[in-house]
Amino acid sequence: MLRYIVKRILAVIPTLILISIFVFMFVRFIPGDPARRVAGPDATLEDVEMIRETLGLNKPVFEQYKDYILGLLHGDMGTSLKTKRAVTYEIGLRYMNTVTLTISSLVWSVIFGVLIGVFSGKNRSKWQDYAGMTFAVSGISLPSFWLGLMLIQIFSVKLKWLPTVGAEGFKSLILPSITLGASVAAIIARFTRSSIIEVMKEDYIRTAYAKGLKDKKVIWKHVFKNSMIPVVTVVGLQFGFLLGGSVVTESVFAYPGLGSLLIDSVNFRDYPMIQSLILIFSMNFVLINLIVDLIYAALNPEIKLQ
Amino acid sequence: MDKSKDIEQKEEIRTPFKEFLMKFKKQKTAIVALIFLLLLVVFSIIGEMIVPYGVDEYDYMNVLQSPSKAHWFGTDEFGRDIFSRVILGARISLAVGLSSVTIGAVIGTILGLVSGYYGGFIDSVIMRICDTLFAFPGIILAIGIMAILGPGMFNVVISVSIFSAPSFARIVRSSTLTQKESIYVQAAKNLGASDMRILFRHILPGAMSEIIVYYTMNIGSSILTASSLSFLGMGAQAPSPEWGLQLSTGRAYVGLNWHMTFFPGLAIFLTVLSFNLLGDGLRDALDPKLTQ
Repeated sequence: MLRYIVKRILAVIPTLILISIFVFMFVRFIPGDPARRVAGPDATLEDVEMIRETLGLNKPVFEQYKDYILGLLHGDMGTSLKTKRAVTYEIGLRYMNTVTLTISSLVWSVIFGVLIGVFSGKNRSKWQDYAGMTFAVSGISLPSFWLGLMLIQIFSVKLKWLPTVGAEGFKSLILPSITLGASVAAIIARFTRSSIIEVMKEDYIRTAYAKGLKDKKVIWKHVFKNSMIPVVTVVGLQFGFLLGGSVVTESVFAYPGLGSLLIDSVNFRDYPMIQSLILIFSMNFVLINLIVDLIYAALNPEIKLQ
Repeated sequence: MDKSKDIEQKEEIRTPFKEFLMKFKKQKTAIVALIFLLLLVVFSIIGEMIVPYGVDEYDYMNVLQSPSKAHWFGTDEFGRDIFSRVILGARISLAVGLSSVTIGAVIGTILGLVSGYYGGFIDSVIMRICDTLFAFPGIILAIGIMAILGPGMFNVVISVSIFSAPSFARIVRSSTLTQKESIYVQAAKNLGASDMRILFRHILPGAMSEIIVYYTMNIGSSILTASSLSFLGMGAQAPSPEWGLQLSTGRAYVGLNWHMTFFPGLAIFLTVLSFNLLGDGLRDALDPKLTQ
């Protein structure tokens, strides 16, 4: 078990290095002269030179990468071209907002997704199953920005129950988390259903029924417990989709998180900011997957034994 | 005599394709989805001939009209007919979805075949690159690429292709790995078939059903990604009737004119839904595990 944990943690390191190289190369991928592109069409030669200096583009590439990594290790991600403040400062202001949004979306979508999946799987090919799976396939196909705008239309404009934009308090979190979590709930529902159906076929379930256990007890004690193991992995992967999806959702609700910051930065061509945000998003994703894998290992007796 | 001939004929016509058609016919929802998609294809080809108004037919006397007999889906801020623009937007979304996934599928399939078949160093390089691309959650990678390339539909196609290639590579690789050890591949090898021949004549057809299912579903999600990019201002630019862009302009009027966002969004939803349902149906008809 300990060996597995150490191995899994060590395996993350090359991925993180590759991500950092990719993100580092990011500014250098810009066609033409990146400094000129960043400066915009009206910039003077002096401005361009200054930006070249700020981005460190006048040094050899290897040197630049070394500086970049050393900076990262010291918590220095450069300066935003837009606000002229440290990138880490700007990100720090909004980081928790995105975390709150992502986690609240994950919580409701896991609860709903698992419930729908269990009822669909338990009642395979009955109306509950069709209703559940209709919800699921619709949820996967819904454009989140459309769902968000329709929710605003109904709950903020027509009924005036909830605020349209911003991040003040619990109420302003409701619509964005519904929007962000819908497709994840749908994916979890589909996955839970097939997992439940698989487990229902097992001999020990037939035994449980045969010895006269009540339906409810069999489902929740035996089927549910065993079918949740693969679902854990899917939940981990979905966390990544939530992080990515937060970009669209946050910009629909003008929610002050990392996603809306990314869009603002792209529009302003604030490359140090874009670079750092992409790095943060992917590092979070990699670390969450690591944690999920470790939880999975703790839950799954097959891995535990190795 | 007649009877035995009958049986013989019946056995003769059970080719894999016929068998697939037989199973696919039972997938009622998938067929409905297919019909809807074919309708969209017709719209994309002859759109201009059937819409009541032109895509850029400005009418400043009738701006922001609610749905009516003259304008089924209402009009936008320039008085353009939303129904016509939704119909004409089908071409863009279908073209972007199909082309980007096709490029991604071809690149990913080749990488997956090579990776799985040759193994070793080349395999670890390809898979490491895929892992790195997978480490960028969801749409983030696409946004990053758009930030480098700049806005525009052509760049959206490039970005979504890069975004979808790694998953094809993974699927094809795992299928190649299992087939590599199969008797028919070993037999072909012993007969002296070239690597190319083995890869494209023996292994690729074996992976085809998985590729087709994944391809269909991926078109749906690519249309979603592409329209999200347009919605965020990185894809199609005004005055294009692209659905995501229509939603993006409509959001300024969300309290006043719900129809400006409702109809283009519904079009995206139904199109993506149809691709997903079709993909589900194809999987059920193609998956040998489900027939048992």
